[in-house]
Amino acid sequence: MGSRISVFATVAITVLLVGLSGCGYNDLQGLDEDTKAAWSEVVNQYQRRADLIPNLVATVKGYAAHEKETLEGVVQARAQATGIQVTPETLKDPAAFEQFQKAQAGLTSALGRLIAIAENYPNLKADQNFRDLQSQLEGTENRIAVARKRYIEKVAEYNKGVRYFPSNLTAKFLLHLEEKPNFTVADEKAVAKPPEVKFN
Amino acid sequence: MDAISMSRVWREPARLIVILGVLLIAASAWALDVPPLTGRVVDLAHVLPADVVASLTNDLEAHETKTSNQVAVLILPSLEGEPLESFSHRVGTTWKLGQKGTENGVLLLIALRERKIRIEVGYGLEGTLTDLRSSHIIRQEIVPRFRSGDLPGGIAAGVQAILGTIEGTYKAEEVLSGHAPSRQEPTAFQYVIIGVVVGTLAGVVLSHGLPRSRALLGSLLAFLVAQFASVGLGLAAAGVTAFLLWLILQANRGKGGGWGEGFMTGPGGGFGGPFGGGGGFSGGGGDFGGGGASGDW
Repeated sequence: MGSRISVFATVAITVLLVGLSGCGYNDLQGLDEDTKAAWSEVVNQYQRRADLIPNLVATVKGYAAHEKETLEGVVQARAQATGIQVTPETLKDPAAFEQFQKAQAGLTSALGRLIAIAENYPNLKADQNFRDLQSQLEGTENRIAVARKRYIEKVAEYNKGVRYFPSNLTAKFLLHLEEKPNFTVADEKAVAKPPEVKFN
Repeated sequence: MDAISMSRVWREPARLIVILGVLLIAASAWALDVPPLTGRVVDLAHVLPADVVASLTNDLEAHETKTSNQVAVLILPSLEGEPLESFSHRVGTTWKLGQKGTENGVLLLIALRERKIRIEVGYGLEGTLTDLRSSHIIRQEIVPRFRSGDLPGGIAAGVQAILGTIEGTYKAEEVLSGHAPSRQEPTAFQYVIIGVVVGTLAGVVLSHGLPRSRALLGSLLAFLVAQFASVGLGLAAAGVTAFLLWLILQANRGKGGGWGEGFMTGPGGGFGGPFGGGGGFSGGGGDFGGGGASGDW
């Protein structure tokens, strides 16, 4: 009699475990957390870049104050980019996501122009402070590229979980998870290559 | 249709196939593979004399023993079109330099043909070996020596500057005592093997002198362990365990007792971790987030 109960218990527990892990509940929760963590890293690195800009602008001003347009362009683009707060929760909204992406891309190109005008000022290019800031900016751009790459991978994994059967049922009816927007490829190409900085 | 036009009809597709083939080969050769981690100093361009390699390796090894930081040097003949930063990040994460948990790895990468230098810094060392400090090491220690043609001297000076900078960040004892157990996750294969072995042992013990169906608990145990790898593997482990238990119990019924023999002959051995081939150097599981600096000479 006892043996029959233990057989029954064994089968019941096994079925329960297979059921739980098979529906992807834990996997989806884990993937959701992963994408949030990866996103925080992206925001973190963008913030790091924004923090470098005031010093960079001040240094360039010292040598090329009359390049007003470019300098103001950077300051404006920075204000725009830091004005948008994208939390993991608002990530679900593709429109807000695109707005964030656009603002950061705007800052990237404004910074590109700033670095380009430095080429015309030999004294600026030789300035130790400017070179230091430039290497920090370069490092930060590279970190942004890495953080974005990781985010893209995580979201792809998460979106698969949300769409594939049977975990899509769990996502839809149990967890109410939706697909998350991702960085676009065209945009990715522009960011994948950090701005070329030459020390000659 | 004469023979000439006939052959022309056939020549076109053939040419297309040849072109496609060439393109395919070109495409696969385009992505530069991460070279195998054969030691702390991987000199694929053969620019370092053997004694420099030996002394650098010694220094790097002594440094790891003392601080647990893993620093490696890679010298490439060429990047073959690959962007420096993304390749260097790929090497760092593939080699897994640095310890898991402290992420304290550093890679010094030199690409000869492109004349490019990169210091790739693991997450855990970004605070001490900052982008700025890395850039200074490249500009002040390495580039001047490279420009005067002294590659070995530049590399040695760069390595010394890196080691000096990260010297005090971690102590080997705290890292190794704090992180050694979680240094590597068991692989799927290990889960299955452990599940089967533990499950079989437990099944034999549980069913000893009791109803034989108790042996199924061993199967359940195997599933519970191996499902950490995946549900399918969990079921497979449970099946294997059930089969092994059945074999053992069959054999024991004949012999009457003596259940301790015979059942360990099945799977066993062969689960050395993903690392560790003959005392060579291997990464500790560290991760990189793109920190560091690049330069050229």
